[in-house]
Amino acid sequence: MEKNIITSERTGDKIIHVKHDSGLDIYICEMEGYSSIEALFGTKYGSVNTMFKMADDKEYTVVPEGIAHFLEHKLFENEDCDVFELYAKTGASGNAFTSFDKTAYLFSCTKNYKESLKILLDFVQAPYFTQATVDKEQGIIGQEIQMTNDNPEWRVFFNMLRCMYHNHPVKIDIAGTIESIAQINADLLYKCYYTFYNLNNMVLSIAGNVKADEVLAICDECLKKCEDKGLETVFPDEPESIVQAEITEKQPVGASIFNIGYKCTPCKGNERLEKVMAASVAADILSDPSTEMYQKLLRDEVINSSFGTEVFTGDGYFTVIFSGESDSPDVIRDTVSAEIERIIKDGIDENLFQRIKKSTYGGLVRELNNVEAVANLMMNSHMDGVSPYATIQVLSDLKSSDVLEFMKNELRKDRLVMSVIEGTV
Amino acid sequence: MKYNRTEISDKIGFSSVTDPKFKTNLLTVRFITSLCRETASANSLGIGVLSDANSKFKTIAELSEKLSSLYGSGVRSGSSKRGDLQILSFTSSWINNKYAFDGENLDEEMTEIIKDCIFYPNVSNGEFDSELFKITKKELLDRIDAELNNKRGYAISKAEEIAFRGEPAALSDMGKKEDAEKVTSADAYRAYQNILRTAQIEIMYVSSEENNTVKDMFTEEFSKIERQPKEYVFNSKSPVKPEIEISSEEMDVRQCKMVMTFKTDSDDRFALQMLSMIYGATPVSKLFANVREKMSLCYYCASRFSSVKNIIMVDSGVEKVNIEKAKAEILNQLDEIIKGNISDEEIQSALLSLDNAYNAIGDTPSSYSSWYFERFCNGKILTPQEQFMNFQNVTKARIIQAASTLKLDSIYYMLNKEAE
Repeated sequence: MEKNIITSERTGDKIIHVKHDSGLDIYICEMEGYSSIEALFGTKYGSVNTMFKMADDKEYTVVPEGIAHFLEHKLFENEDCDVFELYAKTGASGNAFTSFDKTAYLFSCTKNYKESLKILLDFVQAPYFTQATVDKEQGIIGQEIQMTNDNPEWRVFFNMLRCMYHNHPVKIDIAGTIESIAQINADLLYKCYYTFYNLNNMVLSIAGNVKADEVLAICDECLKKCEDKGLETVFPDEPESIVQAEITEKQPVGASIFNIGYKCTPCKGNERLEKVMAASVAADILSDPSTEMYQKLLRDEVINSSFGTEVFTGDGYFTVIFSGESDSPDVIRDTVSAEIERIIKDGIDENLFQRIKKSTYGGLVRELNNVEAVANLMMNSHMDGVSPYATIQVLSDLKSSDVLEFMKNELRKDRLVMSVIEGTV
Repeated sequence: MKYNRTEISDKIGFSSVTDPKFKTNLLTVRFITSLCRETASANSLGIGVLSDANSKFKTIAELSEKLSSLYGSGVRSGSSKRGDLQILSFTSSWINNKYAFDGENLDEEMTEIIKDCIFYPNVSNGEFDSELFKITKKELLDRIDAELNNKRGYAISKAEEIAFRGEPAALSDMGKKEDAEKVTSADAYRAYQNILRTAQIEIMYVSSEENNTVKDMFTEEFSKIERQPKEYVFNSKSPVKPEIEISSEEMDVRQCKMVMTFKTDSDDRFALQMLSMIYGATPVSKLFANVREKMSLCYYCASRFSSVKNIIMVDSGVEKVNIEKAKAEILNQLDEIIKGNISDEEIQSALLSLDNAYNAIGDTPSSYSSWYFERFCNGKILTPQEQFMNFQNVTKARIIQAASTLKLDSIYYMLNKEAE
């Protein structure tokens, strides 16, 4: 078992990382003075992983859309009871989520964490699927799909992704469709489970009022050694171009909303972290309330305080998104485009750049104040292949020329997509 | 952790929580006033404009530039509803001085900014700066319009409107759109001046080190204001309607919503909270286990107890064909409780769940702030652990008794058009 301590030079915080003999990577952050504990047991398996094979397999397996999420729901059921019933005995609040590139099972609690950790490690390692329980879940997930279809923020985002990506499965809904989940059966669930829920593909992240020795003793007791079977996931070829530049859907909303996104070139590991930081600062420069562009859009009543930005990235996709409420999203799109051209021509205002760096740093310090955020930070960094405190260092090394370079290469007019949800009332 | 509350003036409380583990400071000023149609929008606009600028940083651009140079310090302001009261809040947070790598004194800089925002806003000739006001007003009108975007939240607002008809709690804290449209910059400024004079005010300051800078500033600034504070009633029971009121609205949605409001005249709020936990507030509750897991009728079907109005609300997302089935099962599960069908395990798990939730209070600055504000509203300052003891004394008989006092008051349905 290899154990090492990762320290943040700037804040003095410490994380323990262990490569466990079972194959699992474990991250522990003992946070003095905190009462709560947040634990996440995650696998690098999300809605985008629809095509995969092991080193020994000849062919790739293709599975129905939404199966990672379906599997997440079903893993909560043991052979003899529901996992929630087990947590009810410890008082922990258990939950799980599936995103594009990961599935995580979690609990938060303030007492009996050792018992809750055993529950978490045990149930995630013990799948139990039958056709009857699969059939029952289709009704519940069907309702979840309907609910997200009524969520305008969700729709506007997926419509944008569908306009951006020709083939990459990031464009499919995480929960799939009523039709796609109808194809799911117990055998397929087992196939996905044994492929992706291999401890070599997983991570345990636990933060708060914990002791590393206690956590590791429970891991020794509960983790079943896994052989690394050389999992390979594959994505269809994705052209650099977009599918279509605009899409509008009507929904019963009171305020029209938009997502304006730039399709950028994807990358991995530290290169991705550097690119995310450049992209995030670029987006902040373009949306900062102190800028003339922002002020004009505000004065002209084109935007309100909901105007914001996001960098959205994972395996094979990278986008910079501007979002908010507006009756004139085309004006925002054209203004942002023109502003990018102006900045590329005139350069970045160095004062603004430094302020945004400071403000971003403040946000990273805040994150370390929160047990849940620290647990998520450790899991996400591991899955992205970077060190948990690397972000502060990358930010500190970032130069305005890096941001300018990002704008020139990646925020291109021909890769720009606008998705709008307009009211029907 | 150290908690201390003093009255710095008549009906102005200043609470400080000092906890060395935090890397940030949080200040929340809550102005408590009555919620009424005539003033709701003007109050909301008056508080809303404060966090955009002040007399030194006169525009959104100037204040935002200053705040980002202070490591992304934040100020925000707005209104919310607590039963029959309107709560106008001004909140600010910033990182501790020790993390400021250029050696700035953020405590002093932020205290000055907060002082100017609250006491010296950008005002001339008895009204807020017209450009700032125009932006804040559009923001409020947009917020009112956007309520419909979140279907679950909208359904709950509509259910409250029906359940509390005739009471202030039926109103939105933002007011009605037609009223908001009429408010002028001078009206909003007058409303804010009135708030400064008459509201009850609770200030909560959470920091890692003891420091009187913020408290001294408020003591000095409020001493310049001639206060005539009013008394407010924080919790008030809502009378149950003689007949169950059913209200529905059709919309172009895929999933229907059903919100049921139960009222009670019981004073046993600890038993009511335990009842709600067992009934539908956790993933092992009766509603989750039966309506969702066993019958697969809903993705969510949850109950929530509000001691402010003494109600239990059950909200659910359900297909139109299943509405009656879901409703029958929701009522049936309540009957089961009244019949005494509650296991010791259910009581124990509700207690454990509350114990965990109460112990987590204090792990974020904002959890301290809301905890102590709520205790102030309830008239007794208790720690989360002291409060938890009240639940430990709740017996099964008290839960059954509390359940038997619940009366269904009203139901709101959001119905799908296509499913006709």
